Amino acid sequence: MKPHPLAQAGIHLALAVGAVAILAPFVWMVLTAFTPQDQVFRDGFLPTEFTLANFAEVFREVPMLRYYINSVIAATMIFGLQVIVCLPAAYTLARLRFRGRSLSLWIVLTCLMIPTQIVAVPIYLLFSRLGILDTMPSLVLPFISSAFGIFLLRQFILTIPQSVFDAARLDGARSWATLTRVVFPLVKPAVVSFGVFSFVSHWNDYFWPSVVLRSTDNATVPFGIVRFVSFESGTSYGAQMAAALLAIVPLLIGFLIAQRQFIAGFSLTSD
Amino acid sequence: MTVTLPTRTADVEQVRARLQPVDFPAPRVRLPNRLEPVALLSPAIGLLLLFVVLPAVLAFAIALFDWSPLSGKITFVGFDNYARILTSPALRNALGNTLLYALMTVPTSVAGGLLVAVGINALTRGRVIWRAIYFLPTAAVLVAMAAAWRWIFYPESGLFDHVFGGLIGRTGWLSSSDLALAGLAIVGNWQNIGYNAVIFLAGLTGVRKDLQEAALLDGAGAWHRFWHVSWPAIAPATVFTIVISTTSALRMFETAQVMTRGGPGENTTTLAHLLWQQGIRNVDFGSAAVTTVVLFLLCLLVTAWQMRGFGTRLERAGSR
Repeated sequence: MKPHPLAQAGIHLALAVGAVAILAPFVWMVLTAFTPQDQVFRDGFLPTEFTLANFAEVFREVPMLRYYINSVIAATMIFGLQVIVCLPAAYTLARLRFRGRSLSLWIVLTCLMIPTQIVAVPIYLLFSRLGILDTMPSLVLPFISSAFGIFLLRQFILTIPQSVFDAARLDGARSWATLTRVVFPLVKPAVVSFGVFSFVSHWNDYFWPSVVLRSTDNATVPFGIVRFVSFESGTSYGAQMAAALLAIVPLLIGFLIAQRQFIAGFSLTSD
Repeated sequence: MTVTLPTRTADVEQVRARLQPVDFPAPRVRLPNRLEPVALLSPAIGLLLLFVVLPAVLAFAIALFDWSPLSGKITFVGFDNYARILTSPALRNALGNTLLYALMTVPTSVAGGLLVAVGINALTRGRVIWRAIYFLPTAAVLVAMAAAWRWIFYPESGLFDHVFGGLIGRTGWLSSSDLALAGLAIVGNWQNIGYNAVIFLAGLTGVRKDLQEAALLDGAGAWHRFWHVSWPAIAPATVFTIVISTTSALRMFETAQVMTRGGPGENTTTLAHLLWQQGIRNVDFGSAAVTTVVLFLLCLLVTAWQMRGFGTRLERAGSR
């Protein structure tokens, strides 16, 4: 069927109208970030002067680099450990027969329905008893075993034909060898997609850091930004927008480079 | 069909050489077959039990105690906390705000996402660009964007009041007791529409082109083609987006924390925010645990309701 050119133009126009609303906060953030503080509250949309002073202020007041490093460490550790812990579990639940299999599967499915907000207070109490509040482990530990990751990888492993596993077994591979030599290469695309999802989610997360963190020592980007934006900077919106811009830039660059993986990571959740 | 089996030794050798058997290393520790699943599975299940199942169960028990933050004394108080919190205006208010917020974000962001997806899907060129633009809010740190939105909603000088203030006749949404939650809902919609659109787009790629063309040949209009051909294929995506949007709306915390701190007054205090106020800010674990239980039951209720009743009905509609 041949698309009508006028209809096509109409759709583009409608999408463009919506896109203005989607992009407005980004544009407004960028414009304000480069506007001198004394002109932020003026009338009119475009700044008449261009300044980097807001960024200078942010770097003077906020240990941005440390926040970046903390975020990278936390998100990388979470994802790395998730793969090590969840992939064997996903394989076991998909392909091995043993007692307690359905109970284990039931536990995973139940955990899928329990959001982090529910476990916050009990884990806070546990971590304060253990004396590990406000540390890197308190950011990472609760997320190492991801019910979602196990579920997702299991769905992928189920699509691998049984004959592949039979062949590996005939060649003398036991479970661990099957896992590292057969399963892992085949599910790598799923692991990458889950990795993007996990990394982005934990990079962006503010709730959990706001539960377990106190100081800026282990502050991730969102936690550090909120500290500055909500408590320290008052109404200096120029500096706030500069800080916000610095917070979103790394992932936006990542998104522009690896758009396909990003969207795969977030939409494979629905299959 | 006959299969010629290699009979001579030389042939067998040849076949064997071609097959190149994989050399799997002998495991250093050989577990009995029976224990292998346990070894592979127990770290994951153990951590899930420790960090998800146990805390969720403990929340019910923590609510039975009074936690004195100064002396560190813990006293058993039975159902006192439940009685006190469940009847408190603070909880009723937070529950109302949370449900209202869900009502203002879920239907609109799911319908908006579907609309955007159908639009993008009908395009012959430029699909990737539009999808990327609408997806941007999902890739941006939410609290940073919430800071931008707070600045957009700044009374009088903010972008929002500049553009819409005259049209609507109301300004300073975030400091107004009746509009603050709606302001947060605008941000919620802004954030979720693109994500929902991406989910719907993935569903729409499963729509069969041959059925679309057959329907067109049979003289079906655009609406009928959508309703009878496209919609059945995306019904599961609809269930998924509704469930995800609802549960994330019920847990809403970050935008409220950055944009309004739950205010003005308590007008944007959601359940998750109340939970944080009680448990983390005021270290009143007994009260926070009760709020946790309420939020937990609400999430379970919604998931169960959507999966069982509404979900299956939608999916069945999809297989007409």
